[in-house]
This record gives sequence, C-alpha cells and structure tokens, in this order.
Amino acid sequence: MNDTTQLARRDSNSINRAEPERTEQRVTLSPAVDVIENAHGVTLWADLPGVPRENLEIRVQDGNLRIEASANIPTREGLRLQHAEVRVPHFARSFTLGPEFDTSKIEAKLQDGVLKLSIPRREEARPRRIEVAVD
Amino acid sequence: MSDLYFTTDLFSQFDRLHQQMATLFGGYPSSIRSDRLSAFPQINIGTTDDTIDIVAFAPGIDPKQLEVSIDKGLLTIAGERAAVTPDASDEAARHYARERFSGAFRRVIELPQHADPDKVEARYVNGCLCITVGKRESSRPRAITVQ
Repeated sequence: MNDTTQLARRDSNSINRAEPERTEQRVTLSPAVDVIENAHGVTLWADLPGVPRENLEIRVQDGNLRIEASANIPTREGLRLQHAEVRVPHFARSFTLGPEFDTSKIEAKLQDGVLKLSIPRREEARPRRIEVAVD
Repeated sequence: MSDLYFTTDLFSQFDRLHQQMATLFGGYPSSIRSDRLSAFPQINIGTTDDTIDIVAFAPGIDPKQLEVSIDKGLLTIAGERAAVTPDASDEAARHYARERFSGAFRRVIELPQHADPDKVEARYVNGCLCITVGKRESSRPRAITVQ
C-alpha cells in the first residue's frame, strides 16, 4: 500500500458509534485484522467470532470497503448472563482502498469465524521491471 | 438479539473508559483476574436452571487443537493460534496490520460447587467454542409445597 491507501486505525476492541446517517444507533465492535500486501494485492484477515455467512455484509463504494457482521450464537431458553467480555454482537469496520486495487475482483472467504479478503491489484498497477535498452 | 449479550450499551461505555484509563496509566496489572479487554479468547458465561453455558470467542482455530479440561472444579480452555505469515519466498510481502492474537493461550474458569464435571459438552461453531456444563440434580430449583 502506498500513500493513497490508508488503513483505518484501530484501538483494541474499540467501540464505535454507528455512522450518523443510519437511523438506528447501533454500537459495534471493531474486529481485529491482519493485513499483508504483496505484489499481487492485499490480503486481509478479520476475526468475526460467531458470525454465520448470512450475517456478513461486505460493501465497496467509492474506494471504501466496509465490513459489517452480526454474531449469532444459539442460546438456551432462560439464559441469564453472569459474566461478559464481549458485550455487543455487532462488528463493523471500514477501510480505504487506493485506486490501484481492482474492487470487482475481491474474493471473500469466511471460515471458523475468520474472514479472509483477497483484494487484487489492477494488472497495470502491479510492480514490474523495466528493461533498460543499451545501444 | 441473542440473550448472550447485554442489550444496553452502558457497559461498553465503561469498557471504553476503562481502556482509556489503562492506556494512560501503563500496563501494570491491577488484579489477579485477567483483563477482559486483552485476554484471548474472550469469554461470556451464562446460566440456566440446569446448565452453565460458557462461550469462548476463539475464531480461526482447528477444533482438534483446542483442549478443554476440568480438574478440581476448574475448567481450562487451552490451545494455540498460528499467526498468518507471508510466504518466505515472497520478498515484496509486507505486514500492514497485526492486530489478531497469535500464539498459545490458556484461560481458566472456576466452576461453582453445584457444577457436574461428568456432564460437559463442547462444540465449536463459527469460531466460537460453546461449552455446556450440567448442574447437579440437587441444585435444581424446585418449589416447596407449603403444608
């Protein structure tokens, strides 16, 4: 990633207010992510424990990638909560993508509560070596 | 919404305050209890009339690597989560963020007296380890008839 691509900063387990344009105010958690870039593009892993595939939404708009997810853990009838370290079942986080990434070719895979996003670089944006011709 | 979470966000406001205080005053542990903001996996515990339900939020772990044991009323969850690493041959690969936990972990929960260590079930679903511990017959709630 270069200057045009910024990674949103995250305080560990920070709690964000939902964006103001949403009518319903919802408290969400920032999922922890790992990001690795190589010549082909960027790979992002996000921890989304308890999130089934149908509750995960990934949107790309104007170079902004947004991940929204809700955990769904079946619970027994009449459960009373005694101790909670995770208090909110909603996750959300946004990332800014530079124009060198091909947003139409993003691949997403969700397995065991970990989302893996592969964001390829545009063909013309891949680094390449330029041969210097010698007379 | 699932019953496993508090519906109010008051507690999350406290969490945020707690976190800000913790960053201000450095990383000295103030208590023997684990800090819920940094521990892995994070754990929620609830009870019903005949079970104790524990959910450990441990995404991305091979269930075979998870070790759940009960000894002398202590429930232990242990395991290891591998870090994602770029191919060693890929020289252009660079890490931009490394926020996800990696390495070995162990969390211990003290079970109440009335927990029955012979009635334990554990399953791993969508990155959550759900453990159900039964309660002893004698501790079940029952109505007492007035004569």
